[in-house]
Amino acid sequence: MNSKYHQARSRLFSLIPSLISILLACLVSSIILLLSGHDPIEAFTSLAVGAFGNSYRFSETLVKAIPITVIALGTSVAFKAQLWNIGGNSQYTIGAIVAVAVSIYLDLPPVFLVVLSFLAALAAGLVFGAFLGAMKARLNVNEVITTLMFDYIIAFLLSWLVYGPMMDPEGFGFPQTALIPKAVMFTKLIANSRLHGGLFVALLLVVFLFLFWKTPQGFSITMVGQSRTVAKASGVKVSKTIIITMALSAGFAAMAGWIDALGIHGRLQDNLAGSLGSVAIVVALLGRLHPIGIAVSALFFSALIVGGNTMQRFVGVPFSLVTIIQGLVIIFVICSNMFEHIWHKKRGGVQHD
Amino acid sequence: MIDFIISLLSGTLRTSTPILLAALGQVYTQKSGILDLSVEGTMIVSCLAAFIATFFSQSLFLGMLTAVIVGFLYSSLMAFLCITVKANQVIAGTALTMLGTGLASFLYRAVFGIRELPPVIQSCQNLEFGFLGEIPFIGPILFCHNITIYLALFLVVVTWFVMNKTVFGLYTHAVGEFPRAADSKGIRVSLIRYACVMIGGMYSGLAGASMSLGFMNTYTDHMIAGRGFIAIAVVVFARWHPVKVLGTALLFGGANTLQMRMQSIGIDIPNQLLQAIPYLLTVIILLGVSKHVNFPSAFGTPYSRDET
Repeated sequence: MNSKYHQARSRLFSLIPSLISILLACLVSSIILLLSGHDPIEAFTSLAVGAFGNSYRFSETLVKAIPITVIALGTSVAFKAQLWNIGGNSQYTIGAIVAVAVSIYLDLPPVFLVVLSFLAALAAGLVFGAFLGAMKARLNVNEVITTLMFDYIIAFLLSWLVYGPMMDPEGFGFPQTALIPKAVMFTKLIANSRLHGGLFVALLLVVFLFLFWKTPQGFSITMVGQSRTVAKASGVKVSKTIIITMALSAGFAAMAGWIDALGIHGRLQDNLAGSLGSVAIVVALLGRLHPIGIAVSALFFSALIVGGNTMQRFVGVPFSLVTIIQGLVIIFVICSNMFEHIWHKKRGGVQHD
Repeated sequence: MIDFIISLLSGTLRTSTPILLAALGQVYTQKSGILDLSVEGTMIVSCLAAFIATFFSQSLFLGMLTAVIVGFLYSSLMAFLCITVKANQVIAGTALTMLGTGLASFLYRAVFGIRELPPVIQSCQNLEFGFLGEIPFIGPILFCHNITIYLALFLVVVTWFVMNKTVFGLYTHAVGEFPRAADSKGIRVSLIRYACVMIGGMYSGLAGASMSLGFMNTYTDHMIAGRGFIAIAVVVFARWHPVKVLGTALLFGGANTLQMRMQSIGIDIPNQLLQAIPYLLTVIILLGVSKHVNFPSAFGTPYSRDET
C-alpha cells in the first residue's frame, strides 16, 4: 500500500519538469512577442479561445489530437529503443496513400473496404518501417538521416500522385484524388463537427501500447534502448529487435494516416502531413514516452495548433509562434533532465527512468 | 549539346556551394564527436539574418558577416545543450532546427510584414576574371561565379589545413576518438568541442548567407529545404575529408542541377520525381557506404569525467 502511494507520488512529481518546461516556453515566447510589438496576453488569450472557446473549437482540437497522438505513440516506440525515427510525416503519408488507394480503386462493400484499407495501410507502414530498421540493423545506416530524407521523398511522391496518376478524372484538374465513398468514412460523433470515430481507435492504440510495454517484446525494446551490450548479453536479438521497433514505430504513423484519410481528409491532397511529424516528436518527449503522457501532451499541442490558427487570423500573430514554442519546449525538457539528474545525485538517490 | 554541358557543370558548382559550406563546417563538428542536426536550423536563421542585414545596409559584406556571427551564436546553443547539458544530440539538434524554422518565419513577418511583392536585394554579382573568363569551355564553367563559390573553394583548403596541419586539428581528432585519453593528456575536451560546434555554426551561417545573397536575392521560409541535413550526410560519405567533401557536394549539386535542367528542357519525367532525386541519392549513397565508414569512436556520446 505504502509503496503504491510512493509510486503515485513520484508519478505526480515526474509531471513537474514537463509543466515547468511548458511555462518557460510560454514565458520566452511572450518575450519574443513583446519584442516584436505584440501583446502576449492578447495573443495567448486568443489562442486559448481558438482552441477551447466553444464546443466546435474544442472538437477541432480533439480532431487534430488524434493523428498527433497516434504518430507520437509510434515515435515513442522508436525513442524507447534509442532509435531516432524522426520521419513521422512520411510514414503517416504512406498510410494515407494506401488507405485512399484501396478505398477508391477497389469495388467492395464499405465494411470490407474499411477493414481492407486498415490492413493495407498498417502493412505498408510495417514494411516501410522494417525496411528502415533493416538498413539500420544490417547496414549500419544512420536512421536519423534516412527517416529525414524519406520525409522529402514521400512528400514528392504524394505530390506526383495527386498531380498525376491518382488525380481525380472529374476533378477539373485540381491536384487531389477522388473522394472516398461516404459509407467508408468514419461516422461523425457530434453533429456539425468533424469529430469522428477515429477518436476511439486512437484511444484503443494508447491502451494497446500501454499494455505492450508489459509484454516480453516490449521489454526487449526497452532493454535495447538502455544498453545494446546488456541486451545482447541477456539473449535479446538486437538486430531483430531494431527491425521490429522501427516497423512498429512506422506502423503507428501509418495508422494515423489511415485514421485521418477515413476520418477527415476523404481524399489525398498535396502536403497532407503538414508538420504533424515534428509535433509528434515534441509530444513524445514531453509525454516522457509514456502512452498516457503522450495522449495528454497531444491534446495540449493540438490546442496550440488549432488556437494558433485563430491567433494568426484575429490578432495577426504569425502561426510560426507555435513552431517556436515547440522547439523551446523540447529544449527546456532536455535541460530539466539535467537538473533532475543533479537533484537525484544530491539526494543520493538513484535515477529511475 | 556543348552549351548544355557547360550550363550543367557551371550550375553544379553554384548549387553545390551551400551544401559544401555547411558540410565543411560539419567536418570540425563531427570530427570532434558531435552529430549536429541543428545545421538546418542554423542555416535558416542565418539565411534570414544575412538577408535582413543586407536589405537595410545595402552591404553584402555586412550581410555575410551578420550571418557568420548569427551562425556562431545560434550554434552555441547546440554546444551548450550537447556538451554542458549532455543532452541527446539528435533531440537537441531537432529542437534547434524547429526553433530556427519558427524564429526565422516569425521574424521575417515581424520585420517585413505582409507585402504584395517580396522584398529583394541586389545579390552578389559574378566576378570578372578578364581573359580567364574567355577561355573556351573552362571559362564559362569556372570563372563566371559570385564570391560565395570561390569562398567555399578557398575554405576547402583552409579546412584541410586546419584539420591536418595544426595542433587544433590534432586535438579535435583526439577529442573525437579518445576523449578520455585526450582529457588525461590535459586537452580540454569540452572547450575543443565547443569550438568545433561553433566553427561549424559559422560555416553554416555562411552557407545560409550563400542561399539568400548568392543563390537567390530574397528570403523564403522553405529556402533551405533540407540542405543542412544533406550536408550532414555528405560529410559522412566523404569520411570527414575536406577534399572528398568537395567531391561529394559537387555530386549532389550535379544531381540537383541535372534535375532542374531536365525539367526546363521538358523531359518526360514528372518534375516531382525529379525533385526527389537529391534526397534519394543521399539514401542510396548512405546505403552503399555506411557499413565501411568508421565514425569517430566517441561520435554521438557526451563526455563526462565521472562516468566509466
